[in-house]
Amino acid sequence: MTDVASTDTPAGPPVAPAPAAKRGGRPDVKREVGAFTGAAHLALVLWAVATVGPLIWVVLASFKTNTEIFLGQPFALPGSFALDSYATAWNEANVGRYFLNSVFVVLVSTAGTMLFGAMAAYVLARYKFWGNRFIYYLFVSGLAFPTFMALPPLFLILRSMNLLNTFTGLILVYIAYSLPFTVFFLAAFFKTLPREIEEAATVDGASHTRTFFQIMVPMARSGLVSITIFNIVGQWNQYLLPVAIMQGAGADSKWVLTQGIAAISVSAGYQANWAALFAALTMSIIPMIVVYAFFQRQIQAGLTAGAVK
Amino acid sequence: MATVSYNKATRIYAGQERPAVNELDLQIGDGEFLVLVGPSGCGKSTSLRMLAGLEDVDRGQILIDQRDVTHLPPKSRDIAMVFQNYALYPHMTVYENMAFALKLRKTSKAEIDRRVKEAAQLLQLDEYLSRKPKALSGGQRQRVAMGRAIVREPQVFLMDEPLSNLDAKLRVQTRSQIATLQAKLGITTVYVTHDQVEAMTMGHRVAVMLDGVLQQCDTPRALYDTPQNVFVAGFIGSPAMNIKTVPLSEQGASFAQMILPMQREQIAAASSGGGKVTIGFRPEATDLVGPHEGGLPIVVDLVEDLGSDANVYGHAALDGGSERFVVRTDRRGMPSMGETVFIKPQPNHVHAFHATNGNRI
Repeated sequence: MTDVASTDTPAGPPVAPAPAAKRGGRPDVKREVGAFTGAAHLALVLWAVATVGPLIWVVLASFKTNTEIFLGQPFALPGSFALDSYATAWNEANVGRYFLNSVFVVLVSTAGTMLFGAMAAYVLARYKFWGNRFIYYLFVSGLAFPTFMALPPLFLILRSMNLLNTFTGLILVYIAYSLPFTVFFLAAFFKTLPREIEEAATVDGASHTRTFFQIMVPMARSGLVSITIFNIVGQWNQYLLPVAIMQGAGADSKWVLTQGIAAISVSAGYQANWAALFAALTMSIIPMIVVYAFFQRQIQAGLTAGAVK
Repeated sequence: MATVSYNKATRIYAGQERPAVNELDLQIGDGEFLVLVGPSGCGKSTSLRMLAGLEDVDRGQILIDQRDVTHLPPKSRDIAMVFQNYALYPHMTVYENMAFALKLRKTSKAEIDRRVKEAAQLLQLDEYLSRKPKALSGGQRQRVAMGRAIVREPQVFLMDEPLSNLDAKLRVQTRSQIATLQAKLGITTVYVTHDQVEAMTMGHRVAVMLDGVLQQCDTPRALYDTPQNVFVAGFIGSPAMNIKTVPLSEQGASFAQMILPMQREQIAAASSGGGKVTIGFRPEATDLVGPHEGGLPIVVDLVEDLGSDANVYGHAALDGGSERFVVRTDRRGMPSMGETVFIKPQPNHVHAFHATNGNRI
């Protein structure tokens, strides 16, 4: 920098070529960086459009009539922004009930997943005992296990336990289904936390349980929050598992939202109420955006700053 | 207020043949400030962690205040520890950090408040009590770590290199603060460091370790004056003692053209060393002499001007090899690089060690 400044001040002709060469050289570097960030931004914009486009389409379509939807102008504004289709979906298609079912199931199963996942990951990451690696890899291998292959045994087990078509059954399955990734992710996270803090707590007289809940969990907050969002979204959008489990007599009162929405599209045959379907979809998307916006603020880097050093 | 005893305490890590700590025998008196010092990997930290209960004791015993704590968990030992990287709880304020252990002991709120405020005052942390560790400087964090130990009013303080993350100036300052604090509180303290200056300035007694074995435990002065073996001689003192193995003659050690006189018993003891003896003389117990006074000529490689005095580093051909020497000299007589000077150890300050086993004779 000083170099450039000193060559710039004397504006005499003899020194002119040198700064010119320099000027030629320096912006080149800048331009390269600029080109790269520019390309990255362009890619991000395209991605954002590709992601947001369908969402906008869904929201717009939820206000349209069936005729307007099939006009072939997906981004045309609807004739009016009436909430009729929302009311229809909520009341007549029972989306309200399914919505609450989903909220209940996801709430309990995410809480369970986080509690058991965090405890298992902590022990696997930080305690040495015989069989530790075996259990860990057993969890991790669950990641590679195809859901479809698990369906028949899952169905049979739940049936033998009389848990078919119950929220308890669905919640337990959700927890089991979410544990592998949760444990895999959190174990890696817990490993990075400084051991001295744990030792300090031990010397201070904290039990293992207290150390976990009062010291380690708060320190792992950013990791826990990330994986919580991941689990909420994943379990909220789950379709295959509830379809397999929530069936039998009177099952339709215990459906979750994804099943309810699917039912709208098939129930009326050719006369499906597409606007209501889109309204239900919109309603299912909103909680996830809220969850994300809420937790996003909780993810702060450097939560462990100041712990050591 | 307590004594601490290690009775042949041994720690062997799984899959390793050599014990990390080998039959450590050490008695620490009530209110004593004992420093464990040695190069990295010598077992000093392991010894401390054995006392803390963070490390198993494979053989032997550890007693605190005559009570066998060998297999007790840390919380039943009534100790407090200061860690090298402080290990503060990042999500708690300074106050909560200090109060945590007391809360777990079901101390009353008023008592906790009193003790924390008192420790904060002692450590000049009053105004930071509601801050989180990340909003503190390194020195302040170090003080919080000290405070967390002090409020416990434990029987023994354990400190594991608590100053090594501070910058040089702060380290010297904090060094004296800790020593003063310990004297004031009178709590038995075991302090681990790799820095021999810290060890010498802070400890009532200093235990020097190497490869898991206690080499010598004595007052700083005794360590300096009568090191029990070659390792301690070379480890304590800065710059390090000049240590050379030279031929043994009937009058003493023959060093270059000089004979460094030894007592008859010393010569007798050295005789099993294969006609050789290891001698050591400190840089500050070595004189620069004139060219014709029988000194060993050395070529000066480097002169460190310390302001008050100077360290002269040089080399000389001795017994067919090139040997390095350090001499501390008055600043006025400071030679320059490349010059040849003549050195002569002060005969009363020469240490003699057995040439093969390295023990003092």
